[in-house]
Amino acid sequence: MQLIETSRRKFLQSSIALCVYASSSLSSPLFTTKTSDKKVKNTPYLCNMCRNKCAGFARVEHNTITKLNPNKYFPKSRNMLCPKGNAGIQAVYDQDRLKYPLIRIGKRGDGRYKRVTWNEAYEYIKEKLVKIIDEQKDNRSTIAYCNGEGFNKDEYIKFFGSKLGSANFLDEGSICLNTKLGATQLTIGDIGEMDVAGSDYMIISGANRYESLITPDSVDMIHAKQKLIVLDPRYTITAQKADEYLPLHPGTDLAFCLSMMYVAIKDELYNKKYVQEYFNDFNLLQEHILSCQYTPKWAEEKTHIPAEKIQQIAKEFFSASNPLYYLGRRSVWSENDFQLRRAMVLINALAGSINKKGGIIFGKPIKLKEEEINVPFYNEAQGRFDLDGIVYGSQKGGSWLNFREKVIGNTAPYPVKAMFIRKHNIMQNMPNIAKTKKMLKGMDLVVVLDTMPSDTAMMADVILPECTYLEREDMLVSFNRLEPSLALRNRVIDPLYESKSMQEILKGLGKKLSVPLFDVSSKYDEDLQDSIKQQGRVAAFSSGGYDLSELYQKSITQRNKKLILSQFDENVYKSLRERGVWHPFINKQKNLGNGLYTYYPEEKKFYTVKRRYKVNCYLKKLEKNGFDAIPTWHTRYDFKTKKNSFRLITGRYITSTQTATANNLMLQEIKEMNSLWLNDGVAKSLKIKEGDYVVVASAIARVILQVYPTNKIAPQVVWFAHGFGSNSAELTHAFAKGASDNMIIEDKFEKIYGCATMHETDVTIRKL
Amino acid sequence: MANYGMAFDYKLCINCHACEVACKEENGIDLGAKNHRLWIQEDGNVFGDFWNLQKDNIQFLQMQCQECEDAPCLKACPHEAIYRDSNGIVRLHKNLCDLTMACMYACPYEARYVDEKNHVTDKCIFCADTRLSRGEITTACQITCPAKLRYFGDLDDETSEISQVLSKRKYFTLKPELGTKPKLFYLT
Repeated sequence: MQLIETSRRKFLQSSIALCVYASSSLSSPLFTTKTSDKKVKNTPYLCNMCRNKCAGFARVEHNTITKLNPNKYFPKSRNMLCPKGNAGIQAVYDQDRLKYPLIRIGKRGDGRYKRVTWNEAYEYIKEKLVKIIDEQKDNRSTIAYCNGEGFNKDEYIKFFGSKLGSANFLDEGSICLNTKLGATQLTIGDIGEMDVAGSDYMIISGANRYESLITPDSVDMIHAKQKLIVLDPRYTITAQKADEYLPLHPGTDLAFCLSMMYVAIKDELYNKKYVQEYFNDFNLLQEHILSCQYTPKWAEEKTHIPAEKIQQIAKEFFSASNPLYYLGRRSVWSENDFQLRRAMVLINALAGSINKKGGIIFGKPIKLKEEEINVPFYNEAQGRFDLDGIVYGSQKGGSWLNFREKVIGNTAPYPVKAMFIRKHNIMQNMPNIAKTKKMLKGMDLVVVLDTMPSDTAMMADVILPECTYLEREDMLVSFNRLEPSLALRNRVIDPLYESKSMQEILKGLGKKLSVPLFDVSSKYDEDLQDSIKQQGRVAAFSSGGYDLSELYQKSITQRNKKLILSQFDENVYKSLRERGVWHPFINKQKNLGNGLYTYYPEEKKFYTVKRRYKVNCYLKKLEKNGFDAIPTWHTRYDFKTKKNSFRLITGRYITSTQTATANNLMLQEIKEMNSLWLNDGVAKSLKIKEGDYVVVASAIARVILQVYPTNKIAPQVVWFAHGFGSNSAELTHAFAKGASDNMIIEDKFEKIYGCATMHETDVTIRKL
Repeated sequence: MANYGMAFDYKLCINCHACEVACKEENGIDLGAKNHRLWIQEDGNVFGDFWNLQKDNIQFLQMQCQECEDAPCLKACPHEAIYRDSNGIVRLHKNLCDLTMACMYACPYEARYVDEKNHVTDKCIFCADTRLSRGEITTACQITCPAKLRYFGDLDDETSEISQVLSKRKYFTLKPELGTKPKLFYLT
């Protein structure tokens, strides 16, 4: 037996007696360093292995990071580091890291580059970019730029958006959670924060909080005295740990939610006082839900969850003291995703779980001052086009799939000729990789800033090596609403090789580009021509804000000091430098035992704040655009697959942060590659055994995977984890390991936020 | 002197592997799944077909050297390389180890492995030559654990957290029938 999805360690353990010394040739090179008690420095830092930004202390011996330890002062991360956080050392010392600036010498994608100096790299970019912007008559939006999740995103936007003048910024939101943010914002006027710790009854639909950790939610769930209900088309570890697990068809959570609302309204279980005071158009919601007859019996047919169960859960939820329907932090799954998130918010609201303990809280985040910059105005720069045909959409991060479709289909109002890509592996992170490749091939200039030679880096003309999070200081960040705190990523060691921080890179690029691009503008921009006539060239340049590197004249360290001291005081500054964190009760934290702490005293937590807000049951703008103003089920949402087809769903292992951790050897030894979860009964009927290889084919492409037959997945559904199947041969350890889900996921997107819907692809499987 | 032991609130484990990584980084353990001082053992199954899964008996058990009071490995070594330290931890005189692997075969918990870097057998020693030697009374696995399920400390000190938790809660040890008297306790 292959035991492919079981703990690898267990398997090896049982066979250890047989292979003790025989496998010595397989032993890996030395990547870990035993901590010693010699001279040591412990520097507070913030993790960047995933989106959570947990706080830690880095142990540095002889200028080498030997250990990362959790930081007890940070309310958000609850004094812990996960496996990825612990394996951050490997991200710094990964031998495959991008070390020097590189310029492409082969074809795009074939991985042939030459090492150049920073100046040569900047010079190359300058020549290409001046030509492009000249050809496009100073339409700055011909440069698209993107940045995945992370601290420096806003600084990056300031450079390419505010300073350079492009409207085309894209980020992870439209392949991540924009529907959730939007649904919450539009329904209750704020994105809020979920108080998991304070909830005594929590329902999670789909989100897999124990295999995709979110701090503090995942940690709080472990310790909270609450009843946990998990709905998922797959029996995950979160499902295992739940008090009740409700298996359901993919994409039918909305039917469950509608039915919960039906029971709440029909049986008058909702919080009437709250509804009366805070709801707009409750009568419309009531009428809609009742007249549509979203009964538990109806929902049973859609979801496969027994009607009695739905009735029971609804009753329990609406009679709990602090019920919470967890809104998730996960990708967008189905066409109805926006309406699903909205239904979840409405359920919380019907229970009165808004702006109170255990619900969606508004809290009191610490607002940080914005640094002022002088922003030039480009008359010739055109607006973004990726939200055309999208009802709301994020004005900040746009819609990736709509953008890509318009660029490769030549239906954009103007050509996009250059792309700057940072910390965003677009060749792996969105459905239909072939289309991303096509888009990049059509560019005149592709520049990638990253730490690793990712699949995307291999499509670049110029690669600029950025340092990792442990080699740089970032700007101060404010965290959370219930127990707000400030946290600072301090630099642990100096950047290795010739890598630089993003700010240093943009500073160099800005210095190189400012004047030549100003000269292009002065050819086309009449206002600028007038300004030059009036003030002279030098004054027009400086007063107009054309110095692109303006923001980076001072170092991050200097900027942080100025910001912190101008808004807070010396003690806060000292705390941020020495502990990496500050919150008002940092010196009064109580140890609850075994490393768990209190942060804010109970009476000081911002469970409830004074605030005027309304719960919007009915969204007119949606109706005007031909969408449902109130969440509604349509028969096209019904779950069905063709004969011999399976619905492909995706997710991840606890060791993966998308593809960013794919080359991390420490994490690979826990999970080396992904495999296909296939229902055991189905596998048997297809004569597929554990470890057999199968071709998984969708309408657009196919991949090869090993099969893990299991009763933990429904007969019509297959699953495999995201984060594998890297195609860059420069990633020694990740290259061609497992399969990439986005190779075969079809590029469909919903039209309310323009988000990619990840669970709308059917596949066939064939044994190899 | 202290008498170190560990207790696990094992039902809280989500099998995240943070302990394994922290241990390797702290103690400079070679990469490779076979090199490990500790691991999480997944036991049990979920039965039934997908739509009618029964309550599973899956559990994640924290596995590592059990620090037996009556340690089979100690007796098994032909070179008397294994000894008990004054703090109760079973240790190894590395210079005496001749890799007979007798200790590995003697250990009923499969806690030992061959450290190919140092050519000795290795196992969990509660971070004795890293954290403990610096005066930190925590282990790498304990301090990093998201579930905070590991209690570590002096069993002879009534006021220690581990003594407190063991006095208040029920627990079991692994393979008690062997009479090895482990100092690792699984809280129920």
